[in-house]
Amino acid sequence: MSAARPVPVPDERSAPYWKAAAQHRLVLARCSRCGELSHPPDVVCPRCHHPDPGFVFEEVGGGGAVRAWIVVRQSFLLGFDVPFVLVDVALDDDDGVRLIGRLLDGPDAPLACGDRVRVAFEDLAPGVAVPAFTLERTP
Amino acid sequence: MTGGYRNRVAIAGYAQSDVVRHADRPLGALALETARRAIADAGLRPDQIDGFTSSAMLPAAGSHAVEDGISTVSSVWLAEHLGLNPRFASGFQGHGQLPGSVALAVNAIASGAADHVLVHRALHNPSGRYHGNTMTEAAGAWQWTAPQGYFGPLAMIGLPYNEYLMRFGAGRESMAAVAVEARKNGARIPWSYWHGRPLAREQYLDAPLVADPICRLDCDIPVDGVAAFVLTSAERARDLPNRPVYVAGYAAGSPTRPRVPLHWPLDDLYETGAETARRLWAAAGVGPADVDLPQLYDGFSPLVYLWLEVLGFCPVGEAHRFVQDGGIDSDSPSGLPVLSGGGALGNGRMHGVPQMLECYLQLSGRAGARQRAGVTIGLACHASPHLGGVVVYGNEPW
Repeated sequence: MSAARPVPVPDERSAPYWKAAAQHRLVLARCSRCGELSHPPDVVCPRCHHPDPGFVFEEVGGGGAVRAWIVVRQSFLLGFDVPFVLVDVALDDDDGVRLIGRLLDGPDAPLACGDRVRVAFEDLAPGVAVPAFTLERTP
Repeated sequence: MTGGYRNRVAIAGYAQSDVVRHADRPLGALALETARRAIADAGLRPDQIDGFTSSAMLPAAGSHAVEDGISTVSSVWLAEHLGLNPRFASGFQGHGQLPGSVALAVNAIASGAADHVLVHRALHNPSGRYHGNTMTEAAGAWQWTAPQGYFGPLAMIGLPYNEYLMRFGAGRESMAAVAVEARKNGARIPWSYWHGRPLAREQYLDAPLVADPICRLDCDIPVDGVAAFVLTSAERARDLPNRPVYVAGYAAGSPTRPRVPLHWPLDDLYETGAETARRLWAAAGVGPADVDLPQLYDGFSPLVYLWLEVLGFCPVGEAHRFVQDGGIDSDSPSGLPVLSGGGALGNGRMHGVPQMLECYLQLSGRAGARQRAGVTIGLACHASPHLGGVVVYGNEPW
């Protein structure tokens, strides 16, 4: 694929998330009113519904368990080689927060519900990286 | 709380265009003609229509220009182009577009805001790739999904479907019964895109996977088509030519858990879907055992499993066995006719129209050669149990 993948456009609410991602750190928004994590950071806290959540972005561990996955064989966007795998991950840091990302182990990696994964990052452009996942190897 | 509107509003007439891949006229022209036919079918004149409700959403993720009258048709556009100045014209913004539009019409009539309401849905298949999108930057809600290739409704439904298969030890082969049943019935319907073209189980199993475990035949096919229904009060409907079909109750889901766009975890579908079902039965004053024509939404085949289970037609986790054992065979006396109207898989991407139309035709006794004996209560779903909608219809008010 010659075309480039779509890059995220940070806005007022998401800028800290993408700035950290560029440094290969996963941060999530914690509401300064109720103390709960949420993703994505909304204009109102989706947990306590406070209109001024004063989100503080804090680095999280980035480990989690696979809840589901699909193998994408037909991309509707430019810049993706198919097939690739998307995983739906419940994070250890807060199992109410689910992230969806590409699994970088490739389409042939055996997968089962509950498999352990860890966040990884794909560099799309200078200063732009997107969270993804890799399978955790059991020793 | 029960619906104060229960059985106070009825469908008095309908019309539907042919369902084709690309119509030879603009969608607005098709909608205008279909609306006029529906009004005449109800025994009314256009100037008696004083209410319009609909949803004008184009369900494509691709880079398409959305233009009223061309790729969508809103209620305001339709009223204006019929030369009318209605007392009430409103668009439904949520998911479950057709049940939501019916609910707006019911409320308008029951409150006296309008007497005769035209509910329509106009679906368009734009030229070019339906979901193909050439964005190079992902802003707003898309920043959370598109940069990792998470985009479009196949990924949306594929994840909870795979979660279902893993959780309940099901295989994707069981879904052949759903696709075959939809196309069997669609093949019998003259206006269907799939008229005369049933599907064999082997064809389903051989279809290419597009987002494993979703294959091409798990998805309805994009079409051009318009349907219109005329709703009025139960009293007025009894003086009109067709047998009234009453709206007994409606319900919609509204999930409250924060999720990135497109993300439908299986537990969200079940938890919020259970609330949708509770609201529906309370509003309609009936339960699943009373329904003899449950028309379930099948725009993506896994939604049939979820609606079967959430509405209580089979236990949670067992829909895959239920369909495989002939549970939805509409030709069998013991089968539940959930796709007797062909559904979306057997008609084309008509977004809840086949479900509502089958309820109307069967309950009004107007299904012709396909008429089923003794049907009294139907329901019509659209979208998913957790954010879609569902309406219960009957032909004898209770």
